Amino acid sequence: MKTNSDLQVPLITLVGPPNSGKTTLFNILSGKNYKTVNYPGSTVEYYTSRFLPKYNINAELLDSPGIVSLLPESPDENVAVDSLYSHPKLGTPDLLISTIDSCQLSRHLLLPMQLINSGFNVIIVVTMTDILAKRGLKISESKLSKALNCDVVVINGRSKEGVDKLIEVINSNLDRIGESDKKNIIPYTSIQDKKDLVGTFKEIENVIHSVYEPLNKNEKINVSSANNELKILQDKIVTNEFSPDKVTLKIDSILLHRFWGFLIFLIVMGLTFTSIFWLAQPLMNLVDELFTTLNTLVIENFEPGWFTFLVSDGIISGTGSVLVFVPQILILFLILGLLEDSGYLARGAMLIDKPLSKIGLNGRSFVPMLSGFACAIPAMIAARTIPNRKERLFTIFIIPLMSCSARIPVYALLIAYLLPKDKPWLGGIILGGIYFFSIITSIVVAWFINKFSKRIFSANESSSFILELPSYRIPKLSAVLSNTYNSSKQYLLRAGPTILGFSLLLWFLTFFPNINPEVETTGRTTEQIQNLERAERLEHSFASDLGILIQPFMSPIGMDWRVGVSLISAFAAREVFVSSLALTFKVTSEDDEEQSTLLNSLGDAKIEATGEKLFTVATSIGLIVFFIFALQCLSTVAVSRKETGGWKIPILQVFIFTGLAYFMTFLTVNGLRFFGVQ
Amino acid sequence: MRTAAELNIKESGIIAEIDFSHPSSKRIIEHGFTPGQTIELVNKSIFNDPIALSIRGTLIALRKSEAGCIKLK
Repeated sequence: MKTNSDLQVPLITLVGPPNSGKTTLFNILSGKNYKTVNYPGSTVEYYTSRFLPKYNINAELLDSPGIVSLLPESPDENVAVDSLYSHPKLGTPDLLISTIDSCQLSRHLLLPMQLINSGFNVIIVVTMTDILAKRGLKISESKLSKALNCDVVVINGRSKEGVDKLIEVINSNLDRIGESDKKNIIPYTSIQDKKDLVGTFKEIENVIHSVYEPLNKNEKINVSSANNELKILQDKIVTNEFSPDKVTLKIDSILLHRFWGFLIFLIVMGLTFTSIFWLAQPLMNLVDELFTTLNTLVIENFEPGWFTFLVSDGIISGTGSVLVFVPQILILFLILGLLEDSGYLARGAMLIDKPLSKIGLNGRSFVPMLSGFACAIPAMIAARTIPNRKERLFTIFIIPLMSCSARIPVYALLIAYLLPKDKPWLGGIILGGIYFFSIITSIVVAWFINKFSKRIFSANESSSFILELPSYRIPKLSAVLSNTYNSSKQYLLRAGPTILGFSLLLWFLTFFPNINPEVETTGRTTEQIQNLERAERLEHSFASDLGILIQPFMSPIGMDWRVGVSLISAFAAREVFVSSLALTFKVTSEDDEEQSTLLNSLGDAKIEATGEKLFTVATSIGLIVFFIFALQCLSTVAVSRKETGGWKIPILQVFIFTGLAYFMTFLTVNGLRFFGVQ
Repeated sequence: MRTAAELNIKESGIIAEIDFSHPSSKRIIEHGFTPGQTIELVNKSIFNDPIALSIRGTLIALRKSEAGCIKLK
C-alpha cells in the first residue's frame, strides 16, 4: 500500500454526504472558493490543497467525493470508497474530518459511525447549527463526543464560529496519532454488509436521543437577531424537531403541484433556455467584433505573407472562435447555479424523470441536455452529476444532438436565403420549427440508441432515481459567481487548446500550398483584391483537394465540392461554415454587406459539372437537416473522449450522427425533389 | 402488505421492513428508510412518479418502482 510518507506531511481527508457542508468547510480551511453544493452528488472530482497559512497546520487537505456510506455497489462508489482507504496519489489519510448536518444527525451519522468502526481517526464537524437553533435546539458537543468516542466540533459556516476550535482539535489529533495507527484500518466491507445498515441506524437512534438540547435563554436572544441576517426561507419555530421545513413544504405544494408544478417547470426552463441566447447575443457579437477588428488590424499593418496570415487568420480567429462562446457559458452556468443553489433544480429533475426514464435516461440528465443547446462542452461536463454510469454515458452520447448555438449562424444564413423578401417574420417561425424538429428527432434517436445501450455502454447497473430535495433557500450569489467562473475556466482549459489547435490545422489546410495566388488587380480595391486572393488560395488548397475527394459523397445530396470544403472547415467550429462559404463563393464585397452579397452569390452558384443551380430550396433545407444531426465539432469529440474515458463513444458518436445527418439529408433533398420542390 | 409506493398524498405510514432483494435497497436504507421510521408521501410528480417522501426530517424523491421495496406496517 502506498502511503503519504513520501510527502512528508500528514494527509487530512474531508468526507461527508451531499449537503452536509463539506465543501463550505473545505473552502474555509483551504481559502479556495470552490462551489458550495446544494444538489446531492455534485462533488465528483477531488480537490486538494494546503491549509491557509493563518491556521499554521502543515498538512495536505483532500476534499473527497461525497459518499453516503462505506458499502459501495456501483463502480463509481467503489472508486470513491477505495480511494478513501488508499488514495492513488496521496495514500491513506492520517485523519478524517467528517461533516454532518445538525438537523439531519439521524441520517448523516451513518458515515462517521462506519468510519470509526473501520479504524480511522475521525473528527466530526457538526454544521448548519444556525438552522437547528431556529428550532430552539442545539447539539451537545461533549455528549456526542462521549457517545462516539471521537472529537466533535460545532461550526457555523457563515460566521466561521468554531473554526479556531477545529484547528486546535486537528493539531492535538496530529500530535497524538502515529504512523502505526493506520495499520488498524480495515475495509468496512469485510466486517459489515447492507443488512447491517439497519443495525447501525438503531445505534445512531440511541446516540442522538441524548445529544439534542434546548437552547437556553440568552442564546435564544442571539438567535432571533441572527434570524434577520439569515436569508433562509425557514420557519422560525418548528414544534416537531423532525418534520421537514414548513416553508419548503408550502413552496413545494405549488412547485411540485401535479399540474401547476409541471407548467412552472416548463416556463422556468423555457426562460432559462431563451435567456442563454438573448442575454448572450450582444456579448457574443462584441467578442466577435473585437477579434474581427484585431484580425483586420494585423492584415492592414503587416506585410502580407504566410506569417501575417498565420497570426490573423490562424491564431486571432482561432482564439476568437474559442472565446465567442464564453458569454453564453457564463450566463448558462449563472442561471443554472442560481436554480441549483435555491434547491429548485433537484425538483426539476424529479418532475422530468418519468418521461426521460422511458427512453433510458434519468431526471438528472435534463440539465446537461438543456445545456447542450448552448454548447455541448459544458453540457458533457455537467453530466458528471449523474451517478448511474450507463445513464451518464447515454446522456453524454446524445448531447451532440441538442442543437447547439454554433449552428445558429448557419441556420440564419440558410433561412435568409430561403425566405421571400417580403416576409421576414417567417424567419423566427422557421427557426422555432428547426428547434422543434431537432428535439423530436433527438427523442426518436435516443429511443433507438437505447435499444442498443447494453452493447454501446457495456454497463449493467439498474436504473435508479433517489434524490434528496434540499430545503429552499435564497441562493448565495458569491458562491454561484465563483462556480460560474470556475466552470468557464474549465471550458477554456479543456476545449480551448483543442479548438485553437484544429483552427490552426484548418488554417494550414486552407492556406497551403498556393501561398501567393495571382489575381486580376485592375479596377479593384485593395480589400477586393485580398478577398479574391483568399478565394484563389482556398480553391487550390489542401482543403479543396479533400473537398474534391468527397465530391462523390456530395453529389447524391445535390451539393458539390465547394460545399464539401466548407463542411470540412466547419469541423473546427460550425459557425466557420458561413465564412468559409463566403470564401469559396468569392464574395468580394465590403464587410457590412457580406450576408446579402453572399446570398446573391449563393443564388448564382451553379454545380460545375451540370450547370444546375446549386442552392435550391431542396438543397438548402437539406443543409439545415445536415447541421441538425451532424457531429462536426472536434472539441466536442475531445471532451467526449475525456468524460467517457475512451475513444469508443466519441468515435461512435461521429459515425452515427454524421452518418445519420448524411442519410437524412439524402432523404430530404431527394424526397423534396420527388415532390417537385427544387 | 402495502408499500410506500401505494401511499396517497399526505398519508403517512410506518416502515415494517425493506425488501433486500431489490437492487436499490441499499441506497434506500442509506437514505434513512429503516424499519420503525414514520414516512409521509408529500408530493407526487405530474406523471404520479417519482414521489417525494418525508423521512427523518428530509424530503427524498424516488421512483415508485423503488419505493415499492419499502414495506409498511
